[in-house]
Amino acid sequence: MTNSIRLFVGCASLILVLALYGGAAAGPLDPGYPKAFSCSACHGFAGASGADTVPVLAGMQSWYLKKAIQDYASGKRPSPEMESYSKMVLELGVDDVAGYFARQKRQPSPVRLDSAAVERGRAASTQCVVCHGAQGKGDPAKGIPDLTGQPPGYLKNQMLLFKADRRSPGDETLKSLKALMKAIPDDQASDLAAYYSSLR
Amino acid sequence: MTTLSRRQFLRTSGTGVGLGLLAAGGLTGCATTPGPKTGRRVVVIGGGWGGATAAKYVRLADPSIEVVLLEPNKEFVSCPFSNLVLSGVKSLESMTFGYDGLRRHGVKVLHQAATAIEPDKKRVRVGDDAIEYDRLIVSPGIDFQWERVEGLAAAKDTVLHAWKAGPQTVALARQLQSMADGGVFVMSIPLMAYRCPPGPYERACQVAWYLKTNKPRAKLIVLDANKNIVSKTGLFQAAFKNYPNLEYRPASRVEKIDTSAREVTTEIGDRVKYDVINLIPPQRAGAIAVQADLVGADKRWCEVNHVTYESVKQKGIHVIGDATIGLPVPKSGTMANSMGKISASAVVHLLGGKEPPQMPPVNVCYSWVSNREAIAVINAYRIAQGKVVMIEQKLTSQNVAVAQNSEGWARSIWNDILG
Repeated sequence: MTNSIRLFVGCASLILVLALYGGAAAGPLDPGYPKAFSCSACHGFAGASGADTVPVLAGMQSWYLKKAIQDYASGKRPSPEMESYSKMVLELGVDDVAGYFARQKRQPSPVRLDSAAVERGRAASTQCVVCHGAQGKGDPAKGIPDLTGQPPGYLKNQMLLFKADRRSPGDETLKSLKALMKAIPDDQASDLAAYYSSLR
Repeated sequence: MTTLSRRQFLRTSGTGVGLGLLAAGGLTGCATTPGPKTGRRVVVIGGGWGGATAAKYVRLADPSIEVVLLEPNKEFVSCPFSNLVLSGVKSLESMTFGYDGLRRHGVKVLHQAATAIEPDKKRVRVGDDAIEYDRLIVSPGIDFQWERVEGLAAAKDTVLHAWKAGPQTVALARQLQSMADGGVFVMSIPLMAYRCPPGPYERACQVAWYLKTNKPRAKLIVLDANKNIVSKTGLFQAAFKNYPNLEYRPASRVEKIDTSAREVTTEIGDRVKYDVINLIPPQRAGAIAVQADLVGADKRWCEVNHVTYESVKQKGIHVIGDATIGLPVPKSGTMANSMGKISASAVVHLLGGKEPPQMPPVNVCYSWVSNREAIAVINAYRIAQGKVVMIEQKLTSQNVAVAQNSEGWARSIWNDILG
């Protein structure tokens, strides 16, 4: 091999390595990574949850993850698992953890969806677009979360918690949401969950 | 610039996941040992919940580090959920996985057993071969102390423990299924400490549920060496009330087994006849930890630094998982997974000459108390003055939603370990 070919091969290899390593190292070099890797036991590596009832954290907006951690830790959102872990996150530094997940590439839930349920959900979603928007992306300025690509089981469970007033009980700002949820039959909640899970 | 062979290139260039696949398939698939050390190398002994996680997370944190995993079994069989195989609610296949996911991360998985550790030479013996390391992570799991129950050592091939998921799990399920209606299934629980504190009580619920559903005249007798249920006590007491066919006897350590008489004898002299016996023997750290003198004065468990998981007895060797003692944590799968990540991070920092971050572990243990309902215990921790301290423990009530959460957890954590 001539020196110039060697140099070319060497440079090409370096670029390839940097390209590959860059993806892998985006996690471990992030200051939030060591504080967040415990989460992967349930939420998947870098927050890419594959489970039906566990939300995707990859690419989640940091304002919403921070709010969720605060609400779980205070017991406003009921979850024995998340209440304890949120207290840990607050001790470790919620800004680092939320920042880490916000910097990860968004990975929509891989849970398989029933296309008929998605279509029924689409038809029923007119009642949701007022707040969550036509694309389900929410509105951070109003504290309304992005629903797209979350696992259907997780979305349905949240609707049922609102319906039963077990999530954020007594929160005046959620009064109209809960009134709406009470009017939605459980079957339709499944359809809506499938539809919003399907959105990208 | 010198010419690098592909092998050297892969070893030294910080290769990511994509090239790791080539390394696994092309270079190490047939190797019996990884050859002489050319760069920094971490060896991991044991490919269970702790070791497999540690191997993967070292590679994720720094792909320039060569990672060799020694695990004799070609398949990973999950102990968590395996009690559900006894009741027929799940199949063993649904919790059995290969190690190709780790190979895709560039972990050199060798299906061989470590036979000895030589800390002074920083190498692990595998038969006649030796594998050098810069840092060693030992995740040896548990072994059984057969000699602590009279008559057990001679009968250990026929008296099933099913406490390491695999062929014994399937064999015990068959024995349960073949037992006559009206038969007596006896299970024994060793004194703490042992692998998976709530596991025996979950198993009792699964066996009792199976019998109640399929053999209504049969009975389960649980002989517990402990003075009371040692984990999720109130929740299991409530769950046991659903099973009139379950007789729970605390402070009933089994001292002797007579397989010809099909009878066990407890410490208080009770003789209990059985049709099927499931004797879970007393335990200690896996044999390699004992042999390498990683265990404490009790000759059973390994004390470690709470931040790095480095052995207090041997420098450069980290011990994780069920084999550890001295932390306020259960011997659980989630905990082993957590220790795997933290020890991997510590090892990568130490190899780079950096101070390891002080990361506390986490724990969640789900137990199924029927064919569709589960309970859970959740533990949160902090590090204070270099020690792991529990912030709080939460228990859930018994319901279907907890069982659903446990299935989500299993899917995620199996992928976290091996995917």
